[in-house]
This record gives sequence, structure tokens and C-alpha cells, in this order.
Amino acid sequence: MTAYAKRPPPLVPSGTTEPVAALDFTPGLATLEAAIDVLDERGEIGAADVARRREALVRYEELPAPGARPNRGWKYDYANLAFEELRWTTGAVAMPAMPAMPQRTPQADDVEVDRPALATDNAGGLFFFGATVVDAPSNVDPRVTVAPLGARTVREFSATLDGVRGEIVNWRDDKFAALATAYENCGAFVFVPAGVQLDAPIQLVFANGEAHDDAVFPRIVVVLGANARATVIERHVGEGDAFVCGIVEVQAGDGAQLDYAVVQQAGEAARLFFSRGARCGRDAQMHWHLAELGGALARTVLDVRLEAPGARAETSAFFFNTGLQHVDLLSGVEHVVGPTTSDTVVRSAATDRGQGRYAGNIVILPKAHGSDASLRDDALLLSKRAHIDSVPALEIAANDVKAFHGATVGSLDEDALFYAGSRGIARSAALRMITLGFFEPVIARFPSEALRDEVRTALDRKIDDVTEIDG
Amino acid sequence: MPSRGLIARDLRVAVDEKEILKGIDLTVEPGRVHALMGPNGSGKSTLAFTLAGHPGYQVLGGSATIDGEDLLALPPDKRAKAGLFLSFQYPAAIPGVSVANFLRTARMSVRPEDLNPAKFRKLVFDKLDTLDMDPAFLGRYVNDGFSGGEKKRLEMLQMAILAPKYAVLDETDSGLDVDALQSVGKSVNALRESDEGRDIGFLVITHYPRILKHVPADVVHILIDGRIVKSGGPELADEIERDGYDGVREEAAAARA
Repeated sequence: MTAYAKRPPPLVPSGTTEPVAALDFTPGLATLEAAIDVLDERGEIGAADVARRREALVRYEELPAPGARPNRGWKYDYANLAFEELRWTTGAVAMPAMPAMPQRTPQADDVEVDRPALATDNAGGLFFFGATVVDAPSNVDPRVTVAPLGARTVREFSATLDGVRGEIVNWRDDKFAALATAYENCGAFVFVPAGVQLDAPIQLVFANGEAHDDAVFPRIVVVLGANARATVIERHVGEGDAFVCGIVEVQAGDGAQLDYAVVQQAGEAARLFFSRGARCGRDAQMHWHLAELGGALARTVLDVRLEAPGARAETSAFFFNTGLQHVDLLSGVEHVVGPTTSDTVVRSAATDRGQGRYAGNIVILPKAHGSDASLRDDALLLSKRAHIDSVPALEIAANDVKAFHGATVGSLDEDALFYAGSRGIARSAALRMITLGFFEPVIARFPSEALRDEVRTALDRKIDDVTEIDG
Repeated sequence: MPSRGLIARDLRVAVDEKEILKGIDLTVEPGRVHALMGPNGSGKSTLAFTLAGHPGYQVLGGSATIDGEDLLALPPDKRAKAGLFLSFQYPAAIPGVSVANFLRTARMSVRPEDLNPAKFRKLVFDKLDTLDMDPAFLGRYVNDGFSGGEKKRLEMLQMAILAPKYAVLDETDSGLDVDALQSVGKSVNALRESDEGRDIGFLVITHYPRILKHVPADVVHILIDGRIVKSGGPELADEIERDGYDGVREEAAAARA
């Protein structure tokens, strides 16, 4: 396996003034051909990729917009995204002053909420501005590979990427996964070889500036060898109205353990569409952690396929929609064989005019005897104009399985508010405490104390901006 | 000089437009234990919730003051800051909020700036010890999945940590086994013997006299149908234990006729 333990290719230095490859973006054959030309010119694309991109565009055009307007309060129409305002780019762009890959703990006087405040050490990482890699940490762990997913990486790691890249997320049946496949313009490859166990996380940061209206189509591929262990943190930060449509593919080898955390704090006009899928080998453990905090519209798919006995999937996700935020969250666990286990916990809350939907799927296939699946989802509505739909579903085709499912939708507990009040806690403080507490069962499952605290602080700051909390 | 005490004067209270308390007169002095006894439906809990400021209770008339300050004009948190504590019969759960966090927030709200974190920690551990409570308690979510006995112990822990001027114990004995009841009695007595607890006035609300074996009352009041019909010394509780509420009820009816 040492053959894989190579350093990532050199990065484009920040501040470079190489010409920008950009085209006004509207999904269609003309823009796709132009995009392919740009990539071809840069040696960033192979023949197989070209064919797949063309097929993906056809699928994008054929597939209906998923679940347009699930309820009356839902303001966004998936079928009518304003693509014409976006620019598709690749290569280097002149950067405004960019934060380096942060390697310090947050300071009390940090006022820039959107800057990622990270733990001190990283095992590796990449910092994207739009579709461009602008930075990477200097202290990477030499045992792992964290590289931009360009043609060179694809060639070099073809043995590892074959059967993974483009094969885990089913882009043929999802409109946005098809779009991301057709227009992929940046990406990251994370490889943790067999037996390597990392303590520090690998961080992938996607940033956008206020003046940038780029369309970003990332693909992240994470491969863990047998018995490898790692934490990957994917972050979205910035102030602009970014359009990000990406794919994340994870292959966890036998006995591997991956914590994959997404901390989404994109700008308030950002739109993000992500299809994330994982495949687990024997006794592998895959844990998705999702904190949807920013953006105007976020659609996230979190899937796990348990393909070998002993594999386990955990999903811990929450969103808290304030203002006019919309979040559409879909999680799925497929128990292909038995015995496999899964545990899904989702907490969603909305206030102001926030809109949300959660669709949770557990599928236990006929051969998955002895499997155990649990799905728990709770929603909290804090204002009259907020709305959350919760649609959990269990599909069981095997005998001798355990499957639990529970869901609630509620408002703030008046008895708890009065109780806290009787202890001297003012109503506004009690509202904050109870609301933050609502998310805690999910946050408690996040992989490190630094990350848990960061997410708690971000939620606390969100409450500052809330205009309506009834109760 | 305003009159000291937790004082109700001709307090009349309705729930859902139905008058439950029909004129309560009661004075709980600092450092004294008053027991309020009565059968189910007599209005005991209504008095407790009204004093604490529950929004579901409408005050029709009369007054309630704490050391001269008008309780009825204050929201629940300000009543706690004024020195009132209510031990709930059915304490609410607050999932996701740890006992440690809740205790600290409550203490800081009621008494800002008087304890540094180290001293606060010592206070909490001392009180846990008095109550025979496992420190692991602190990491659990407030009343979430607690047994009846655990909930009452947490109420007692909060009372000890907030050290109010007046404490209303609403049926703290209900649903407790002998051990838990003993522990409640022990914590009340330990608080009363401490420097900051010496002057606490207690209003112990109960259906059964058994809690008074552990927390002896100076004065016993009998509440029937929204009125205090009889007050007396501890012997009044013995009378209730022996004869039940029927004797007092008949006496009261005769007196009103």
C-alpha cells in the first residue's frame, strides 16, 4: 500500500493571476461542450469522463425536479433555479485576501462568524475558493493523501478510484447528482491507507466571496483502507450567493471507521445541493454528521449502503432554519446483508418563515437477516409561519430483524419554560436554553469536543438573529 | 418597615374561569415551617402555582407579597430572584440541558456574581453529598428519564443551591418510597441548619402527614374547598392522620352555616 502514500500534487499558489476560465452558466449542451473544451485544454479530462458528462446532462434534463414545493410555505422552486446568473469556472482566479487554512483555536474576540474556527491540528486538507484550490495546511500527515481530484490524481490513483469515483452516488436517478456529474469543476481525493488511524481531522473547506457568483461543482472521494480510521470535516463558509452542487463518495474498507462531518455555514443567499453516499465493507463503521446552519436553500442527501456483515451506519443530522431558510434533507440506509446495524438521529427546527423537510428511509433487503435499524426524528416549530414536514419510511423485506422508528413534531414546551422561569431564568434565556438543548442529542454524537463546541456556538449566534420565537 | 414573610391576603384565584381559591390568608415567617394540608381538589397546588406565577392561574383578588414586595406583579423569574422557590410536584423535563448547566444558569440568574466556578463546584458537590446523590447526576439532562425519586432529589438539590428566602414544597412526598422521603427530610433539615438556610421559611404542601415526621411543622393549616378552615400546632396533623379530613370538613361546614 506504500505506493499510494504520495504527496499531493503541487497546488496553485494563492494570488496567482492566470486567466480565468469562465462561462456564463446555464445547463445545456452548449455550456457543457464549452466546459469540456476548457477542461480538455488543461489536460483535466479523459474520454470516459466526457462520455459520462454527456450522459449525465441528458439525465439531468430528463429527470423531474425533486419534490418541488413540498408545502405551501416553500418559496423555492427547484425547477426554476436562476442558473443564468451563474458562472462556471475552473483553474486559478485572482484571489482577494484569503484566510490561510486555519490552525488555531477560536479566540474570544473573533468577530468573523463565517471563518472556520478549527482545531489546532489537521492531518490534511484543502481550501477551495469557488472552484479553485487556494491553500492547504503545511503539517499534513505523510501517511495520507489529500489531493485535488484532477486528471493527474485520477491517473495516479486509478486502482483505488476505479469502482468508487462516479459509482457510489447514483447520479443517473437524481437530478442534482446528474448536474454535478456533468459539470464537475473541482474536487478532492482523500485516501487513508489500510491500518492508518488518524487522530487529527482532514478538513475540506469551500469558501465563497461576496462578489463571486461562481457555480461550483465539487466531487469529494474518500477511501479508507481496511481498519483505517479517520475524521473528515467538510465546511462551507463565505458571504456570497454561491451555487454549490456536489457529490461526496465514501468507500470504507473492512473494519474501517469514518466520521464524516459537514458544517454548512454558507452565506445567507447561497444554494447548496449535495448528494453524499457511502459504502461499507465488513465490520466497517460509517458515521455522517450534518450541521446545516447557513445558506438560503440546502438540499442534502446522506446515504449509506451496508454491504457486508457487521457493517454499521450512524447518521446524526440537524438543521435550524431561521429567516427564510429552506432545508431539504434526505437520509437513507440500505441494509443489503445481515447482520448490519444502523442508527439515525435527526433534529430539525424552524422559526421565522423557515421551511424544512426531512425524508428518512430505512431499507432492509431480503438477505439482511438479523439486522437492527433505528430511526428517530424530532422537529421543533418555533413560529407560526415556520413549517417542517417529516416523512420517515421503513421498508423491511427480511425476517428476524429489529427496526425502530419514532418521530415527533412539537412546539416549545410551556411547562419547561415555566419550570426554568421558577428557577430565576428569564424567559428569553430559557427559550434559548431549551432550543439549544433540543439539538444536543445530535450534537453530542459529533466526533470531537472542539467541533461540538463550535456547532453549539454557531447555533447560539443563530438565535441572536432570530426575529420570531413564539412560546 | 414592610412586613417580613411570605404573605397571602384574601387571595382568590380561578383556573379556566372556575374559582378555586376563595380567599387565602397565610403568613409564612422566616425560619418557620408551615404545613398546608388538604384533600385532593382543595386548591393546594393552585396556591403553589399562583405564588410561583404560572400563567394558567388568574388572580381574581387579594394580594401575595414576599418581604413586602408584590409577588403578583412579577414574572416567574423575578419571583425567584425575589427569593421564592417552588419544589414542583411534577417537575418538567428539559431534554438536552444538563443538570450542571441548569444549576449554574439558575444560580447565576438568582444570584449573579456571588460565586466563582471553583466555589460553585464545591457548593454543588457538598449538596450532592448531603443528598446522597451520585455526581453522575450532573451530566444527565434535567428530569429527562428521571424516576419519581430522582426528580424530587433534584428539586431538593436546586433548593439547596439556590438557597431561597421562602420555599414552597408542593407534595414533595408524593410517590416517594421511605428512603427517598428520608433523604428529602434530611436535605431540608441540613439546609435549615446551614448558615444560608437558617432563615428560610417553608410552606410544606401535603395530602398525607407522613412528610411532617421528617420535617416537623411549627404551624399546620387545613385547606378545604379553597379556604383555610383551621390552623393549629403540629397536633392538628396528628388529628388528620387519625380521623382524616371528614371531621374538619364537617366542623367547617357547621361554622359557615
